[in-house]
Amino acid sequence: MTFGIEIKKLKRTGYLPACLGAAALAALFPAVNMAARSETFTVMPGAPLDIVTDASWQVMAMLNVMLLICGACLMYHIEYADSGIQKMSSLPVRPGQIFFGKAAVTALVMAVSLVLETSALSLCADRWFPGFEPDIREIFIRAGFQWITLLPTGVLMLLIASLCRNMWVSLGTGIILVFTLSVLPTDNPAAAFLPFCSPFQTFSSASGQGLIPAFIAVCLTESLCFGIAELICQKLRRYFE
Amino acid sequence: MNYISAISIEMKKIRRSKILLLLLIPVLMMWIPSLVNSDMIFDVRDIPITPERNFFIQGFMGMAWFMLPASVVICTVLLTRTELSHRGIVKMLSLPVSRTKLFLAKYTVLVFLIFVQMAFTVLAYFICAAAASRMHGCDLVLSPAYVLGSTFRIYASALPMAAVFWMLSVLIPSPIFSVGIGLASIVPSVLVINTEFWYAYPVSYPFYFLMVEYGRAAEGVYETGIDWIPLIPAALLITAAALLIACIRFQRSQKV
Repeated sequence: MTFGIEIKKLKRTGYLPACLGAAALAALFPAVNMAARSETFTVMPGAPLDIVTDASWQVMAMLNVMLLICGACLMYHIEYADSGIQKMSSLPVRPGQIFFGKAAVTALVMAVSLVLETSALSLCADRWFPGFEPDIREIFIRAGFQWITLLPTGVLMLLIASLCRNMWVSLGTGIILVFTLSVLPTDNPAAAFLPFCSPFQTFSSASGQGLIPAFIAVCLTESLCFGIAELICQKLRRYFE
Repeated sequence: MNYISAISIEMKKIRRSKILLLLLIPVLMMWIPSLVNSDMIFDVRDIPITPERNFFIQGFMGMAWFMLPASVVICTVLLTRTELSHRGIVKMLSLPVSRTKLFLAKYTVLVFLIFVQMAFTVLAYFICAAAASRMHGCDLVLSPAYVLGSTFRIYASALPMAAVFWMLSVLIPSPIFSVGIGLASIVPSVLVINTEFWYAYPVSYPFYFLMVEYGRAAEGVYETGIDWIPLIPAALLITAAALLIACIRFQRSQKV
């Protein structure tokens, strides 16, 4: 039920068109990148899909993370702007339910855009590398992996947005986190597992290092922890307001 | 009400917004890692650059490319959203205040906030460079004239971008689009400065100015001279057009 209500709340905010737009932009990027510099990439050794992904994934992941930040800020902005959250808390609804409704919407939107993006990568590989066979199963496996690496960032961003009454504070915190983790030295392997860093991991480099099960386990645990943290914050919040 | 008091009222409105904290933290996040990893500046990877310039430019890189445009976006959100709660803007617009003045005062505050962030950055640079000099036992502090001059150029080049982002936030009522377009436009600026039409894309100006500094400090990395001719007319035109469109829209708006 909360899921339906959350979708309804987002109806006139432009959330879904913005997400589709960002996904389309991210999906368009590898095509432009390949078209502009196809000679550089077609001579590279390795699997076509990995070459296309490695060439474009940093920018695409950045767009995904920015979308998550904007989306989370917007989702809680509409609650706080006209004290909607107070009305929600007077209803017989658990406060955590709102959060998990929003998280479910975010997760669904992310899944759709990631499938779009990985399909675009696959189509690019098909277009520029003769002999490449697009494989639906492969697309879904890669999209699923990227979805799991994106999940902690989405949940953490929702947690931040739910704690900050003002939109610019949550937006600023999100931006600062992206910035901080992007200037972190890359030689520390543990840093790759942090939220805001893990979305930049590509499937090929993770599987090359044999880290896929580690990524799945760590990212799911992180998401779960942020979800529990939200529940604790909801409880604590009562004493401060 | 004159223009100065309009500005002071706008400053009062954002007094408790914690915006200065939000502008200060990225500066610390930028300089502390570069101080901690300051031994890396001696590893110049065959680029002919002196360590002190390397320290300065590497530190400013993230600022000019990402954090400066993103800070402008955050400030525009602050300026438009802070008055929406409790319908503050409706009360403001019902007063006998010139809307043009109100609009320009808000843009001035935006420009001032970027100035504060750049001042923080320069201050943090001098502290970190002095600390790094002590750590490595050699002088890594550049002359203040050079640092202030190049930072001022980067700051001034951010003003057209600020006008464009401010226009977006006035024109587009849904924050997700105005913020989303702002943040998404940061991503391609690295690609744009390598094309010949970089002057048509104001988001890339700060990064362009930094890359020119890089080119001057290290031969062959980038161009060494600023192409003032397409830049100045294009920047003036973009700024004027953005402010004019936003001002007209602001005059007619019932709700910003």
